[in-house]
Amino acid sequence: MSRVISYAEALNEALHQEMEKDENVFILGEDVARMGGEWGVTRGIWSKWPERAKDTALSEQAIVGLACGAAICGLRPVAEMMVADFIAVTYDQLINNAAILHFMFNGQVNCPIVVRAPQGAGSRLAYHHSHIIESWFMNIPGLVIVAPSTPYDAKGLLISAIEENNPVIFLEHKMLYGMEGEVPEEYYALPLFKAEVKREGSDVTVVATQKMLYLALQAAEQLDLDDGVQVEVIDPRTLFPIDKTTIMNSVKKTGKLVIAQEGPKTMGYAAEISAIVAEELFGYLKAPVKRVTSRDVHVSFAAVLEDYIVPKTEQIVQSVKEVLAS
Amino acid sequence: MPLNNEQLLDIYYDMVKIRKFEEEVESYKEKGHIQGWIHLSIGQEAANAGVVKALRPSDYKFPDHRGHGESLMCGTDAKLIMAEIFGKATGINRGRGGSMHINDIAVRNMGFNGIQGSTLVTALGTAFASQYKGKDDVSVVFMGDGTLGEGACHESMNLAATWKLPLIYILINNMYAISTRYDLAHPQKQLATWADGYGVPNEIVDGNDVELVYEATQRAADRARRGDGPTLLELMSYRWQGTFDKAEDSKWRPKEEQDAWKDQCPIRRLKDKLLNRSICAEKIAAIEDKVSAEIEDAVKFSVESPDPEPEEALEHVYAGREVER
Repeated sequence: MSRVISYAEALNEALHQEMEKDENVFILGEDVARMGGEWGVTRGIWSKWPERAKDTALSEQAIVGLACGAAICGLRPVAEMMVADFIAVTYDQLINNAAILHFMFNGQVNCPIVVRAPQGAGSRLAYHHSHIIESWFMNIPGLVIVAPSTPYDAKGLLISAIEENNPVIFLEHKMLYGMEGEVPEEYYALPLFKAEVKREGSDVTVVATQKMLYLALQAAEQLDLDDGVQVEVIDPRTLFPIDKTTIMNSVKKTGKLVIAQEGPKTMGYAAEISAIVAEELFGYLKAPVKRVTSRDVHVSFAAVLEDYIVPKTEQIVQSVKEVLAS
Repeated sequence: MPLNNEQLLDIYYDMVKIRKFEEEVESYKEKGHIQGWIHLSIGQEAANAGVVKALRPSDYKFPDHRGHGESLMCGTDAKLIMAEIFGKATGINRGRGGSMHINDIAVRNMGFNGIQGSTLVTALGTAFASQYKGKDDVSVVFMGDGTLGEGACHESMNLAATWKLPLIYILINNMYAISTRYDLAHPQKQLATWADGYGVPNEIVDGNDVELVYEATQRAADRARRGDGPTLLELMSYRWQGTFDKAEDSKWRPKEEQDAWKDQCPIRRLKDKLLNRSICAEKIAAIEDKVSAEIEDAVKFSVESPDPEPEEALEHVYAGREVER
């Protein structure tokens, strides 16, 4: 049965159901046990399973390193970074260890860890608590980067991430934790490595994830109302390795592509999708690809500064119009 | 428990095997058969053999950067390790890792890592898994004096001590990280005292005396299995080679110092002990011959083995998922 709950509650429910289902699942991180996590996502787990919910020291390397070692032994650790920016401290463990364990053992061991990390601007927390970090990891073979946008996806994708046999960086967007939506109470898993068409349309394709997805859907509504333009909106859901097929099928149909991305313009997923489309669908394109992104700058604290660099709905509308006009 | 004559002979076999193996690696590196960087453990055989011999096969072992000897001790066939160092298809990891990454899950050699300090936090996980599953397997992580400069060491020991994880830190202090003497990089006179800050028991051991190494490791393993948490052992030893090859070596390490340590050869010291225990020289010589034959076999096997297929480079990036070809 479905009911309306928040993105954070959906994640929490996924964790409870996985803890229930598999005794090899445990959680660890800073303040995740007794307190239930800075964002409340791990609430209620420690009181039910005190041995399987571990508060650690402020030691991101130890958190991810421990997760890797435990995963080799058959456990399924779910680690939390209090905010995604802290993941920089454990870069070595993710890149040189988690991503490479299966390869270095020539396929003999797996590293089924999940590292949950809340990212994104909007919380007025400045540059060490607000960055979009997916592109820090998007050329590391062996890693899987998942980024849910809706409460429904958050639950189903976290369940799949925990059951996945490869290391997953599970990016939650801080500004979406309070976002509400229909979520089934019962256990369900959603496929990783699979994008979803969130709105069908025939005139132009817009690819967007997390907070940008909502802006893209808003832009699509507005373009429909104002000009009768039918925008197809695609949410990649897994950012790496990305589902090329769903995106390419849409672009083959529309011939026009806009990509909305929070985070710096250079070397983001928008750049990668642009390159894929330029390489493989050049003949289908009826207009140049457009990227709507943040600037190549750091996130600031003051509201006017922080808000200035993050893409807005109007920019997406404008870019779609430009693509349609060319 | 002290080692009896049979056990000492066993260890003598292991130590001679490490020495002979490393000499062949060096020789085939010079002949151009082996690419890349090699880190030999000649001079440190007692520290390698004494530790692993005191463990159970089911204990988790994380060799250090100078880990050929430790990997041999874990129980992987010398042929498969040698072939890995040669980068051949028959290597234990089919040439993926080479000299710096010899891993064998079957004998719980959990792999050595090119990043110093990195395995100290990975080993938290295997130790945690033992605790979580109620098993008494201990985790043992080897490190060098240079490793201690890494921040991961603090995170590891802090957490292992707090949670009383069954983890043993084996710090082989061979005095130099490439060219930098440990007292130029660390404030402690003895690196073992670093563990005092965490309330972790630690011992300084003559790393060239295999019996002392064995006994200290047993004590640490007993503690860990009892649930009393981690221990650090600082094994004082010396590598006879330079970090990369012998040519560069004498630039940073005084010849008198090298000679003094060679006088403390761990293999010769054990051999003297065996002879003092009235074990006949023929028995010892027979072991040496057996090792020579085995290592020659391993070299022959490696030289004759084929390279991996180039397309194997694309395999095992993801579990259960192919990369784009």
